[in-house]
Amino acid sequence: MKDPRGRLLILLIALSVVSVVVAGAVYADLEIGYYSPENLGSITQPAPAKNHADAAYTISSFPLYTPELVPGEGRQDVEAYCNTCHSPSYITMQPPLPAATWEAEVNKMGRVFGAQIPTESQASILKYLESHYTPETRKR
Amino acid sequence: MEKEISATSRRNVLKTIGAGAAAAFTLGRLFQPEAFAQQEPAAATRMRTFTGPGANPYWNSVGKIATFPQKAPLIMLTDRPVQLETPRHYFLDPITPNDAFFVRWHLESIPNEVDLYSWRLSVEGNVNTPLQLSFSDLLRKFKPVTIAAVDQCSGNSRSRFQPRIAGGEWGNGAMGCARWTGVHFREILDMAGIKSGSIQVQMEGLERGKGPKGMPSYEFKKSLDLNNPVLDESIVAYAMNGEPLPMLNGFPVRLIVPGYFATYWVKCLSWVRLLDKPDENFWMNPGYRVPDTPRGDTSPADVKAGKVKMVPITRMPVRSFIISPDGDTKIPAGLPVTIRGTAFSGSGPVVKIEFNDSAHGTWRAAELGEDLGPYAFRTWKIEWTPRRAGTYQLAVRATDAKGNVQPDEGVWNPGGYLWNRIERQEVTVGAAE
Repeated sequence: MKDPRGRLLILLIALSVVSVVVAGAVYADLEIGYYSPENLGSITQPAPAKNHADAAYTISSFPLYTPELVPGEGRQDVEAYCNTCHSPSYITMQPPLPAATWEAEVNKMGRVFGAQIPTESQASILKYLESHYTPETRKR
Repeated sequence: MEKEISATSRRNVLKTIGAGAAAAFTLGRLFQPEAFAQQEPAAATRMRTFTGPGANPYWNSVGKIATFPQKAPLIMLTDRPVQLETPRHYFLDPITPNDAFFVRWHLESIPNEVDLYSWRLSVEGNVNTPLQLSFSDLLRKFKPVTIAAVDQCSGNSRSRFQPRIAGGEWGNGAMGCARWTGVHFREILDMAGIKSGSIQVQMEGLERGKGPKGMPSYEFKKSLDLNNPVLDESIVAYAMNGEPLPMLNGFPVRLIVPGYFATYWVKCLSWVRLLDKPDENFWMNPGYRVPDTPRGDTSPADVKAGKVKMVPITRMPVRSFIISPDGDTKIPAGLPVTIRGTAFSGSGPVVKIEFNDSAHGTWRAAELGEDLGPYAFRTWKIEWTPRRAGTYQLAVRATDAKGNVQPDEGVWNPGGYLWNRIERQEVTVGAAE
């Protein structure tokens, strides 16, 4: 007659040995043949230029790699006005900026650079930037 | 048949031995967890594409890698207008390849085509004889000159500033050195004949913006004083490293202003105007201005209080960089490694480059690389053997012929210009047994 407690103990020992081996195997996997779980993406090669012997020197169109702005109220105004002169990458490239800095930037675009943005839209652009691109609010 | 069986059984034996060895290996490692804990591959996560509100801790900026016409994959800050940064490793060489050379435009309409049949370099304004020079005039009517010179964006390393400055968030790669071939700018000015009363020369290229005409969002213009000696060294370059300039670097010709920041190196240069009044357009004032203080340093409070007098940015301060090792690879203790980097100054040649492997260590002179001229990159190297495992803060500092030495303090000004603090690279030295 065997003690059921003893059997349980043996089973537990066996289980822990198995789990240790499995865990070890997982670590071993990390050390060789480890590929990223994410697909990092890639870009297609630009096509070679077709040149002629005349005096015109041409390159292909400049590619766009426009980032997506955070969805939210006011994004349409940003896209309608800011995008006239520059891509939204000018916004996403910035560090999280305090609301006062964004206000100075938006004002500069109007007063210095001559962007014609209706007052209402200017307020909505500012509110959007403050809601998503300050140290307190920026998530991505 | 027999052969086959024996092969199979041999395979099985090998398999069994292999499995046993693997298990033993695995178990062995499990009993010394520290042996593999550090060996997990680096996290698979991608880099965030912005830094802050603290300083950018990386050598380069953190933008995505992108390809543009005539360019190798570069670090993209913005796609329209185009701003691209050169990855660190390219600076091991004193000459930056054309396809890796950084790109910075102010306005979004950049030429995709230039027709040299109709393109002319106009010299106009306060001159005796206005000129219309074709590309072929530049090639045939003047003596070609070549100079190796560093082109660096005024805002290079802007992402180091604290508090951060809104603008192009460059790491250290908004710089490059090329051999520029072209024509002395003075010869062109002399050919036109500068009328008395002229005080500045204005440069304008082909780039255009979507803003209203006459606004800085429509055109980009820069000017230099006619009595500035930098004009004697400036050239109108039609070749870069012995090849036509990439369109994104200013084909067909670009102004080269050795020692000065890139803001004056007007790309696709097409209009040269002699002015009898100072140029007050935005890109001269208040654009590209720095405090009239030592190193151009000030504080947000002083700017707000209106205490700071601003003057146009001019020469580049002395800088040096550690290019390799880049901190990504662990170095085993006792292995001699070569530390490599580059340096330059806008005020003549770099004469001394020193290396330090700790915050309190002594500075050791590094060996200087090939001398390509006073305004070119000067590479350097030094052998270093870390004796003990641990974390080291490698540092480099350069001194130029004028005696300017890199300081160990940052700088702050509202444009995010003139950064030249001593650069450091943290490296991890691992145990060798």
